[in-house]
Amino acid sequence: MPAVSRADARAAIVTGIAPAFAIFVFGTIYGATVGPQVGDDRTLLASVIVFSGALQFATARLLAEGASIPVILVAGALLNIRHVLLGAALRPRIEGSRVRRAALAWFMIDEAAGLALAAERAALVLFVTGAMGYLAWIAGTGLGLYGAELAELEDVADAVFPVLFTGLAAMSVRHRSDAVRTVAAAGITVVVAFVVPAARPILPAAAAAAVSLIGSDR
Amino acid sequence: MTLWGIVALAAITYGSRALALAVLPKPSERIQHLLERVPPPLFAGLAALSLFDEDGVLASAPTLGALCGAILASPFRSLPASLVGGAIGYLIGAVLS
Repeated sequence: MPAVSRADARAAIVTGIAPAFAIFVFGTIYGATVGPQVGDDRTLLASVIVFSGALQFATARLLAEGASIPVILVAGALLNIRHVLLGAALRPRIEGSRVRRAALAWFMIDEAAGLALAAERAALVLFVTGAMGYLAWIAGTGLGLYGAELAELEDVADAVFPVLFTGLAAMSVRHRSDAVRTVAAAGITVVVAFVVPAARPILPAAAAAAVSLIGSDR
Repeated sequence: MTLWGIVALAAITYGSRALALAVLPKPSERIQHLLERVPPPLFAGLAALSLFDEDGVLASAPTLGALCGAILASPFRSLPASLVGGAIGYLIGAVLS
């Protein structure tokens, strides 16, 4: 594996700034809204050892609706199916021992995985952007628990993720057929999510898997 | 939420991340070829979910504007271009709302 240059490290850090900012803002919202519900210690613990905004917010919502723990765990497993697809797509680009890959897997949030897939130094970008996201998430959660109010930035944070994912989709398109499948998957996701809201957690992964089986690469 | 519930969620999350990256063997060339197609539609699906929430309520005008701006910038196939397009779209959406 080639040595990491300062330029590569700097580029990875710059790449991670926008997602880290959005993750930080959502972290404060998570801490501020969920802390009173489940307690400060458990809220912070969840951010430290779960490190999944989508799952943590979904869990808080399910708890508020009175869902049982088994239901929450099943929802969590379904929501996390996309990680398996992203990990499989990243696998050929991440070399090294199983221990190294297992360590990198900790940082494999959606944003870091997407940036890594589009980068030349996949492992470096995964680690740096994932670590920035991790620190931002914990810091945001902590500040939210202790009274920071960044709700006025929620609209901005709300907009960052779809922009980021759209950019990542555009960057990872290699052929015209990729673009067609991308648009098709977005359309399928919108229609099915509208008709069957309960399917939202697994829709992106299911739609992506379905369209990926179709057609050739041109 | 119980402590063990949180630990179980952590195990599920890390397990899903580590399964393909560290546990399963490297996929065959054919499977790899199919997997290479997955990221663009997966990210597009994640972006598409932001159009409306679980109750079918449309996202705010600035968010919709940001998404449109990012889509219009997508032919550049560059993250900075998407962020700039998204920022311009966000501002337009904020002005119009």
